[in-house]
Amino acid sequence: MADIVLSVAASHAPGLAGLYSGAPEDTKAEVDKMYGTMGAEIAAADLDVLILVGNDHLANSRVLEYPDFLVGMAAEHTGPYEWFKPWLNCRDYTLEGRPEVAEALISGMARRGVQFFGRRENLRYDDNLSIPTVLCDLDTNDVPVVPVLMNCNVPPIPDQRQCYAVGEALGDIIQNDLPNGMRVGLFGSGGLSHEPGGKRYFFIDQEFDHWFMDMLEEGDHDKLLNEATPERMEESGAGGTAELFAWFVVLGAIGNQPCSRLGYTAYDNFKCGVGAVRWQMGS
Amino acid sequence: MAFEQVDKTLVTHDLVQDLKWDADLRTQFEADQTSVLDRYALKPEERTAIETGDFRKLYEMGLHPYLGGQLARLIYGNAAGPDATRAVNRLIASLTGEERPDDRTTT
Repeated sequence: MADIVLSVAASHAPGLAGLYSGAPEDTKAEVDKMYGTMGAEIAAADLDVLILVGNDHLANSRVLEYPDFLVGMAAEHTGPYEWFKPWLNCRDYTLEGRPEVAEALISGMARRGVQFFGRRENLRYDDNLSIPTVLCDLDTNDVPVVPVLMNCNVPPIPDQRQCYAVGEALGDIIQNDLPNGMRVGLFGSGGLSHEPGGKRYFFIDQEFDHWFMDMLEEGDHDKLLNEATPERMEESGAGGTAELFAWFVVLGAIGNQPCSRLGYTAYDNFKCGVGAVRWQMGS
Repeated sequence: MAFEQVDKTLVTHDLVQDLKWDADLRTQFEADQTSVLDRYALKPEERTAIETGDFRKLYEMGLHPYLGGQLARLIYGNAAGPDATRAVNRLIASLTGEERPDDRTTT
């Protein structure tokens, strides 16, 4: 039986690296606090693997053949992918992969009736993995990572209940399929409100963002599952906010654990509400 | 634009994906857009919309907004800062019909 010893979730946006230097000082301080806290806690957790779930952003598959979940099975993950480098303006990185954990996820999901796809070669990573990596220093702290890229964009997308159920299967795999004593961390990467490519590209729905994080802190999963619907996500940012469904995978895996927010900031030019939460594991 | 309006079969989706994934094709697109567009089975109005930067038309035809944002960056500039901001503003201007300065960074 492996143990989930750390669980966090946070926004990613290219601007968090690429536009950071031009952001207001209070915004930069909030970003530093959120990602610095997560980075320190991840480093201190002595993880055998960090499973990071985040939106694929149409980076790895064509619209006509789009998987809902795609696991990075490589022994090393490198990024950012070349075309995204000008957006991100961050350092190149190499992360240690855990192919055997990736295989266990894919085969374990299949036994539980969930379709996970995988690729053994390096995937194309944009801000989904790059922002957590460089802002939380996953690369420099040698944190082994298995990325699980998901479909938050190509309809029909897996909704909050489907993602929660996938998370429950993930928790079961960690508990029953991964080796005894393995220390596992979970990172939900994505959100909060944003509308990439839409009329409201610069819009950040702060009311929604606080409402969503308030519900996480309240810990009422039934309420979350009833109210954080795809329709509600679309209202607060079409085609972007729904990447919060990655957080539901984490929620399903860990069950009801105390949650606290690490911070929040809304800077128009990031084009995304930026927040982070941490769940207290083992309580 | 709602998800339901996305036409998964729109050929522009493949064009944008190929341009993202193939640096040589991107260089050709920057030098001679026509020769690249000739290789794709675009509908006439779809091609015209790309050539004129008419994102509203492309979205009406079912272009995925996420790839629309990326197409704007492929046409108007990809780097963080002024390039990307110009691309975003021209995209929004096309979608809304309102004029926007290239350097605006608010709604």
